[in-house]
Amino acid sequence: MSAELLVLLIVFIAVLGLGVPVAVCLGLAAIVSIASIGDVPTGFLVAQRIATGIASFPLLAIPFFVLSGLLMGEGGMARRLIDLAAALVGHLPGGLAYVTTTTCMLFGAVSGSAVAAVSSIGSFMIPQMVTKGYGRDFSVALTATSATTGLIIPPSNIMIVYAVVAGNVSVAALFMAGFVPGVLVGLCIMIAAFFYNVKTGNQARMDPPPLMPALVAALPSMLLIVIVLGGILGGIFSATEASAVAVAYALLLGVGLYREISVRKLPDILLRSAKTTAVVMLLIGTSQAMSWALSFERVPQTVGEALLGLSQSPVVVLMIINVLLLVVGTFMDMTPATLIFTPILLPAVMALGVDPVHFGIILITNLCIGLCTPPVGTCLFLASSVGNTTIARVVPRVVPFFIAMVVALLLITYIPEISLWLPRRLGL
Amino acid sequence: MLSRVWNLAVRGLQLLTIALFAALVVDVLWGVVARYWPGIVPSDWTEELGIYLLAWVSLLGSALTYREHGHLGLDYFVTLFDPAAQRLTAIIVELCVLVFAGYGLCYGGYRLVADTLASGQLTPVLQWRTGYMYMSVPISGAFFVAFAIEHLLGRPLPSRPVEAAPSA
Repeated sequence: MSAELLVLLIVFIAVLGLGVPVAVCLGLAAIVSIASIGDVPTGFLVAQRIATGIASFPLLAIPFFVLSGLLMGEGGMARRLIDLAAALVGHLPGGLAYVTTTTCMLFGAVSGSAVAAVSSIGSFMIPQMVTKGYGRDFSVALTATSATTGLIIPPSNIMIVYAVVAGNVSVAALFMAGFVPGVLVGLCIMIAAFFYNVKTGNQARMDPPPLMPALVAALPSMLLIVIVLGGILGGIFSATEASAVAVAYALLLGVGLYREISVRKLPDILLRSAKTTAVVMLLIGTSQAMSWALSFERVPQTVGEALLGLSQSPVVVLMIINVLLLVVGTFMDMTPATLIFTPILLPAVMALGVDPVHFGIILITNLCIGLCTPPVGTCLFLASSVGNTTIARVVPRVVPFFIAMVVALLLITYIPEISLWLPRRLGL
Repeated sequence: MLSRVWNLAVRGLQLLTIALFAALVVDVLWGVVARYWPGIVPSDWTEELGIYLLAWVSLLGSALTYREHGHLGLDYFVTLFDPAAQRLTAIIVELCVLVFAGYGLCYGGYRLVADTLASGQLTPVLQWRTGYMYMSVPISGAFFVAFAIEHLLGRPLPSRPVEAAPSA
């Protein structure tokens, strides 16, 4: 390991541990390591990498999907999706729990924000489940884990981030690849809930509303995913344009049809979207500066050789990577983890013949689990606060769902067709 | 007096970010409409303008987000420190941001803008100077520096908003 690389690692880990924003850590590490190379204009290079890292057309989809997600979530969409889910699975024994998971999956197909799913679905479903005799901590754990399915089911901003750092990966292919795995994760969570229902003998149902009215009410919201994916697959517009059309459609619904968003609230919604976008973008910019330093130091090659030195078997290497990412995910949020580890790990797995689209789904599914594990787990934390309970009490209840998600992750890792069948069928 | 001017400046930055974001939405939608609406000439400048605006919205927005402590960080270990150490750590964090923003964004961004403007580089379609897009870097850097100083002076600020967790 070269001296520069050591400097980079030490600086990065030290400032990261102190709570410096990850984006700033990346920027500082880039400055220090580029400066230690000598003979290059450090400031110029860092600023240039940040600016050109952000200024890319595919990334434009991120602010738009954030905005359309906020617009859709602002109104009563969650309520309509809950009704639809109740009409579909509410009548089953223990159906109440399945309604929560199903709503999260439907929500994911429209909004793509797990955080929004936790707050808008959890605030309605957790009290419902508690009233019907489900444990509060169980209900919180179920909501937190179910919400992550929305990040695997398209549209999904994290997939756009992955596509951009992976280079040459089609966003459309990733979107389609996420469908079946997202549903699979949801099913595994429901199976875990099924065993819990059997064990506790709680088979609370949710009175299903009539299917047709529920479907009609939810249809305009669900149409968003049809427009986005249909438009992309039909070659009518690019992923970026699809995201802008999604904004227009969400505006039409929220301001026009449902009248749930007043025009006066729009500037505030725009500002919130801009801030959420900015968090991702600054991370992308500084990680591009950092990755310049990393590739100058040939870090991806070094890591790749080390990994392949341990084993030449894709089965073993993917297992090592999954364990590594699970550990990383407990501490680090999804976007920085994706930005930091994709450029390092992807070349190695591609050398073993793993499809980059498939690897993207593995990585994202894996990091979803990290959103529900302490010490840093955005979904877990938010769900605990929405459900008025403490993280320490919820953690034991998360374990069965954690196992369910790991099972889904293993299936997704070792059966590439789960991810690749749909995009291949569609010729992507 | 000074604080009133400062609040106005921050409000101005917010309004500018909102306006640029709104322009971004209109711009990309226009690109789609222009392609399919009969009689309108498809325009390839929308893509370029979109990228320009994205850089500005992202960087100005990231300064605003930093003011509210909205950027993702690993705050777990800090919670294990005692209060005195936590206060010290908070100061170190602001200093780190000052170094990054002062050197990387302000100085580096200034060099980037100066060199690009001097080279006369233009964007392919609009024929705008690329340097103007890069100007978002030093300007947002200046706001980062100002907000870090504001934090260090210990002004009460809104706590970290929940929606700060981005693509999650």
